Amino acid sequence: MNALSTVTIGQSQTVVHLATDQQNVMRKLMALGIMPGSSLVLEQRFPSYIIKVGHTRTALDGETAASIFVE
Amino acid sequence: MNCHQCPKNNCTNQKSPGWWKLFRKTPRALELSSQDAQIALVGMPNVGKSVLFNRLTGIYVTVSNYPGTTVEVSRGLAQIGEQNVLVIDTPGMYSLVPISDEERVARDLLLKTSLTAVIQVVDAKNLGRMLPLTFQLIEAGLPLLLAVNMMDEAHRLGLKVQQKALAVELGIPVILTSAALNQGIDELKSALAKCLPSERVAIPA
Amino acid sequence: MTSQVLYQEPIEEAIASLETWIDNHRQSNLFREYTFSSRSLALLLLQKDPSLWSALKQDEEQCREVEIVLTVAQNKLEYPVNLAIAQTRQQQARRLESIVLQETKRTQTSLTETLHRFTVNPLTGFPLLVVILYFGVYKFVGEFGAGELVDRIEGFYEGQINPIVNQITAQIIPWQSLQDLIANDYGIITLGIRYAVAIVLPVVATYFLMFSLLEDSGYLPRMSLMLDRLFKSMGLSGRAVIPMVLGLGCDTMATMVTRTLETKRERVIATFLLSLAVPCAAQWGVILGLLAQKPAALMVWGGLITAIFLAVGYITAKLLPGSSGGFYMEVPPLRLPKLRNILTKTWIRMKWYFWEILPLFIWASVFIWIGRLTGLFEMIIRGIEPLVAAIGMPPETAPVFLYGFFRRDYGAAGLFDIQQQGLLTGNQLVVAAIVLTLFLPCIAQLQMMIKERGLKTTIAMVLFIVPFAFLTGYCVNLGLTLLGVNL
Ligand SMILES: Nc1nc2c(ncn2[C@@H]2O[C@H](COP(=O)(O)OP(=O)(O)OP(=O)(O)O)[C@@H](O)[C@H]2O)c(=O)[nH]1
Ligand SMILES: [Mg+2]
Repeated sequence: MNALSTVTIGQSQTVVHLATDQQNVMRKLMALGIMPGSSLVLEQRFPSYIIKVGHTRTALDGETAASIFVE
Repeated sequence: MNCHQCPKNNCTNQKSPGWWKLFRKTPRALELSSQDAQIALVGMPNVGKSVLFNRLTGIYVTVSNYPGTTVEVSRGLAQIGEQNVLVIDTPGMYSLVPISDEERVARDLLLKTSLTAVIQVVDAKNLGRMLPLTFQLIEAGLPLLLAVNMMDEAHRLGLKVQQKALAVELGIPVILTSAALNQGIDELKSALAKCLPSERVAIPA
Repeated sequence: MTSQVLYQEPIEEAIASLETWIDNHRQSNLFREYTFSSRSLALLLLQKDPSLWSALKQDEEQCREVEIVLTVAQNKLEYPVNLAIAQTRQQQARRLESIVLQETKRTQTSLTETLHRFTVNPLTGFPLLVVILYFGVYKFVGEFGAGELVDRIEGFYEGQINPIVNQITAQIIPWQSLQDLIANDYGIITLGIRYAVAIVLPVVATYFLMFSLLEDSGYLPRMSLMLDRLFKSMGLSGRAVIPMVLGLGCDTMATMVTRTLETKRERVIATFLLSLAVPCAAQWGVILGLLAQKPAALMVWGGLITAIFLAVGYITAKLLPGSSGGFYMEVPPLRLPKLRNILTKTWIRMKWYFWEILPLFIWASVFIWIGRLTGLFEMIIRGIEPLVAAIGMPPETAPVFLYGFFRRDYGAAGLFDIQQQGLLTGNQLVVAAIVLTLFLPCIAQLQMMIKERGLKTTIAMVLFIVPFAFLTGYCVNLGLTLLGVNL
């Protein structure tokens, strides 16, 4: 299980865990299609995280992205 | 606080700056009789609900290329078949459980208004991400139609949507549109006409 | 025949028991007005829907019953209930998508893709942001709109229309006092409509045109993600960038758009900053036009307002309890703006803005006319003159601040008028510009603030803003004088 802060940029990853106990963070990630089982590509980390899920691009801040763990 | 709490006839967006009012030639929404059917356009942000609203009613509401353009409900009349139908444009929402205020506006409208039909607009490119909302709307027992929009962009990405299969799987009417290019609007209208109570006729020219 | 999603065993059990419970309570106040099926309401309760739960909380016993069902389900599940629900839906969605959606070709990197990279890469994105601000805002709106266009239209109005209006009124209306209502220095046509048409409208129109371009291209979400970190220091998130940029066009619209912010704290901070330190297009456009010949003065004004924006934001964030919402935003593809949409949008906003201000400007003329006729105007002016003098202004500017009460843009237009007469030094111009920028929001914005944030919050904000604006003006004037700076 790897945090997004450590994975290679541009490679497809499978989400395995969302580590947050905040309902709202969870809801946001789920709304954007980021949940265990979905695959994503991390595109950049600075100034914000940009994540691509399918044809959807999403920008997240570091704290929100920190709750995403991939295989 | 929200528009839907006032009597539906003459509350067309009166509390928002409402610049579209000036664009209209006649205040058509005011001619509405209370028996008229009401339909709502819902869906995730930035999928083309407001463009579609504009195509159906001829009323301009702000259309922009970012999520969260519409934050207030707008209403307008559309001619569907032989009937006048009140069309409602709503802010985008990701699911039936709202995260921010404008999502709550849309959700509460759905929750508290009895609607003749609900059109969910989805982005064809991101069908998989948007279907969960479709499931929720079906679960809620709403009379749903699916408008798979942005077909032009999907084509450009080499995506093909099996309209029939989708309609069969979901058990609801599915219409493919490119609202910005004015494609599929007539099909949507005739699909809508079939959902309206009486006078199920007249495919609009 | 409609297909329903089937959830995991424990969730289906919970739904079943909640459904029965809801069916029994259908007639209660809680559920009567809801159109959703019981199954759907049960799922909303399981997902801890905030508004349903807050309604439920009114009856503790009900609340406990639901709580128990939820806990029972949760204990049998590996994931949180709402995640389990979302996952089942998502899996079903994926399955369905794979059946109905065929990808026929793999797309290679397109031009929009390259452009996107360019806008969000920090190395190119930040310079691009500066370039867009410089050309879009400073060059186009400031120099072209507020400079060139205003000069032409204003020149034409004063040169061609005012004399004719004055002449005609003088001929058909025999009474001097009534002539003044329509024409001459403070008349409805010669002052009110002139402000609206010749000074405010060109600026607003150019800004809205530029803003529409930004909106339709899809640049704004990219700007949000670039500025998220900066906005975090003010207790906001990148989501607040769009309302703020919109506020540079019209603060009233922007106040309504703060709805897209996630937490109440963010909405309060954003509303406050909009009313204090985000000048609307009419205001900053006119000020930019005024100060354009004095780059140093422009820097002082721009620097100070930005500093106040950041500092007040920072302090408010420190003082207000609560946390800022996390930043999340979908980034739509960059699209080529459609000329038609741009023009329609600009046109409609312009029209809306114009009809919004015109009656107010006309009323302002009428009030000033009544005030002058009855001597009230003089009295009020004399009343605020000491205040105006305290911040180092000549007495002639007193009316401008009175106009500022009516509307920010009206005050700015008044300032433009006075400057045309060459009455102000550089320092005075800067101080006046600063005070007017910070000063009270217009009536429409106040109404929107009350509607969105409530009366109490709005009053608190106003009570801070008025003294703060004058105090800042006072300090700046003092500072400039002490330092011996002549801008
Ligand atoms: N290419 C293409 N673009 C479209 C289509 N429909 C809408 N758009 C564009 O998508 C963007 C979003 O359209 P809107 O109508 O504002 O979307 P919305 O669903 O109302 O968005 P919110 O109000 O934020 O929920 C705009 O830039 C439209 O021009 C379409 O069929 N094809
Ligand atoms: Mg919209």
